[in-house]
Amino acid sequence: MPLYFSEREIVLPGQLLSDNGNRGGEGTYVLGGMVYASRLGFATLRNNKVHVIAFKGAYIPQPGDRVIGIVIDVKPNGFDISLGRHLTATIRIPDKKEVQALNLKIGDVIYANVRESGLRGVYIDHTGRIKKITSGLLVSMHPLKIPRLIGKRGSMINMIKKESGCELIVGRNGLIVIDGPSPANEFAALSAIRMIDREAHSQGLTERIRILIKNILEGEKSVEG
Amino acid sequence: MKDSSMRLVKEDGTRIDGRRLDELRPLSIEIGVLEKSDGSAYVQLGRTKVFAAVFGPKEVHPKHLALPDRAILNCRYHMTSFSVDERKPLGMTRREIELSKVIREALESVVFLEEFPRTSIDVFIEIIEADGGTRTAGLTAASLALAEAGIPMVDLVAAVAVGKIEGQIALDLSDLEDKYGEADMPIAMAPRLNSIVLLQLNGRLTREEFKKALELGKKGIMEIYQKQRDALRRKYSEEALMEV
Amino acid sequence: MSAIPPQSKKSLIAGIVQEKIYNLLQQGKRLDGRSPVDLRPITITTGIVEKADGSSLVSLGKTKILVGIKTEIGTPYPDRPKEGSFTVNAELLPLASIGFEPGPPDERGVELARVVDRSIRESKAIDLEKLCLIEGEKAYILFIDIYVLDYDGNYYDPSVIAALAALVTAKIPKYEVVGGKVQKTGEYFNLKLQKLPFTTTFGLIRGKFLVDPQLEEEAALDVSIIIGVDQEGNIVSIQKNSPGLIPETILEQLIEIAQEKTNAIRNKFCEALNIVI
Repeated sequence: MPLYFSEREIVLPGQLLSDNGNRGGEGTYVLGGMVYASRLGFATLRNNKVHVIAFKGAYIPQPGDRVIGIVIDVKPNGFDISLGRHLTATIRIPDKKEVQALNLKIGDVIYANVRESGLRGVYIDHTGRIKKITSGLLVSMHPLKIPRLIGKRGSMINMIKKESGCELIVGRNGLIVIDGPSPANEFAALSAIRMIDREAHSQGLTERIRILIKNILEGEKSVEG
Repeated sequence: MKDSSMRLVKEDGTRIDGRRLDELRPLSIEIGVLEKSDGSAYVQLGRTKVFAAVFGPKEVHPKHLALPDRAILNCRYHMTSFSVDERKPLGMTRREIELSKVIREALESVVFLEEFPRTSIDVFIEIIEADGGTRTAGLTAASLALAEAGIPMVDLVAAVAVGKIEGQIALDLSDLEDKYGEADMPIAMAPRLNSIVLLQLNGRLTREEFKKALELGKKGIMEIYQKQRDALRRKYSEEALMEV
Repeated sequence: MSAIPPQSKKSLIAGIVQEKIYNLLQQGKRLDGRSPVDLRPITITTGIVEKADGSSLVSLGKTKILVGIKTEIGTPYPDRPKEGSFTVNAELLPLASIGFEPGPPDERGVELARVVDRSIRESKAIDLEKLCLIEGEKAYILFIDIYVLDYDGNYYDPSVIAALAALVTAKIPKYEVVGGKVQKTGEYFNLKLQKLPFTTTFGLIRGKFLVDPQLEEEAALDVSIIIGVDQEGNIVSIQKNSPGLIPETILEQLIEIAQEKTNAIRNKFCEALNIVI
């Protein structure tokens, strides 16, 4: 069963990847027993299936995802939450007292779990797991690049936290809150996020980001000193 | 302007701009040119210059317009007032409304809309300068913008116009050739599937001429398709190389 | 009646973002690392649309503006028989922002066009008398059409820059009067601008101000105002373009900064287009 790509090759919609129609994975389609790419991204073989890891694309919520959202409407039985410019989620609570107890108003930022996502819409879990975020720098990046920001077993995100001295809350939907001791620390973390957003699919990124943060913070010191 | 003595095809078989009958104008493509959209592209074919931008998949407002089983694809083909010889009045002309529809239908033929129920994907094409072949250049750009936005598709769409000038079938008509020629036939294909996604004819062709025009169009489309793929690969391999 | 069109409602902004922008501003800083009085980088390209008599593509940070100029021959206005005329239109293209809907220009597009129009008209940048061919009968009409192509906040300042860049580099088809009729000569002429007016857009948040607001800042502003200044320091246009209170005491300071910033823009403009003033 030949493959028509090398590992991590950039592939384009319509590109032939395999002549075994059983091996079609994410970002592919099968036509006439052959597997083709349906999206622009990296081709990769995982568990004997051909996948295309897209560079860009819409965030599709999955139950259990941790997301950051902004309250955009307050209703008697819950809230509407913006998960970015393309997507709204809903919090529905049968008990009105519970709604009031959450004490959320329009413009508040929350960190919460996706409970359900499907044809009926996206619903946020309200059972005691909504955290209100009251300060920090709210930024966005391409949702598909969030796994790169986190890195293998959290290697990237932990390094950014350590080097920049900031706390980072990461929403799977592409929203991130940076909270640091000074604007300079927050800018350093923000620059790291911007670099990942631009170059997520390149290799050796962790080390370059470490250097980037160091340079920014040292540059700041020398200016102040 | 063309005076009556001017020939669109010279004795030696070349055209006013020096091209052969089967030759495309110079084509350049840039990906990701507009930062506030989800995907974008700029296509320049001779003097024809086009931007395309894509937004989505996103929620549909008002909600009752959403389709339960697939995404809605919206498309607007529009020309700037100064893109043409005589200033185009503001607002959409009947021509722009028609072209928006056929371009939308061409794109609907290749996008996996069923992957995004209850959403919309908006495609905007803006003609900055019109020198013939604007709908096909717009479609070429739009399919690149869709790809850059990460929208799943069966294939890219590559498009070109063919036509008949002074009795001869010619590839990629300029504005002048379109105006004074006998026929103009825009073609768009999903090349991988060897299928037509847009086909219009304005003018008269014999069956033989049609066959020849389609063949010539396909040749141009394969050239454009190659350049589209090169541009997308270049964009992302450059970024991947930035690490070094 | 002027109701708020649905798409021009202030985009919703998270409370913590608003708070962050204000806190940074108090320390003289901004989200993108600029100081409160820093403009974003400006780039100017001209002559990109050959079918236009003049054209330009200007970017201010990530905001991009395309301007083209077309000339027609028409009748002078009855109250100004010795003058040619110009018209400014602006369209916020849906390519530029998810917040711009396709359709005829809404009140924001009309306001943009009129602010640019006033800056050029009131500064007398164009010598309209030179655009008259036959008094009361024939004159040049310039159509200055502005398209917002990519929108990351503040389309006013780059639109003025782009309109002037297109005007300064325009090659207008020359007509001559032969036997009481006008006809094309096949030659072209340049418009010599008498003034180079530029604008500076200010935003205020709880009494603190910043120039050239970027998109996120724009959503956080309490109020904003645009001030146009010519090269002699005269104020040639003002537009308070949002609801909100502007303390009277701050205006003097804003005007001073507008003079400084428009000078910086003018220098950049002249350098980019090789103009000596």
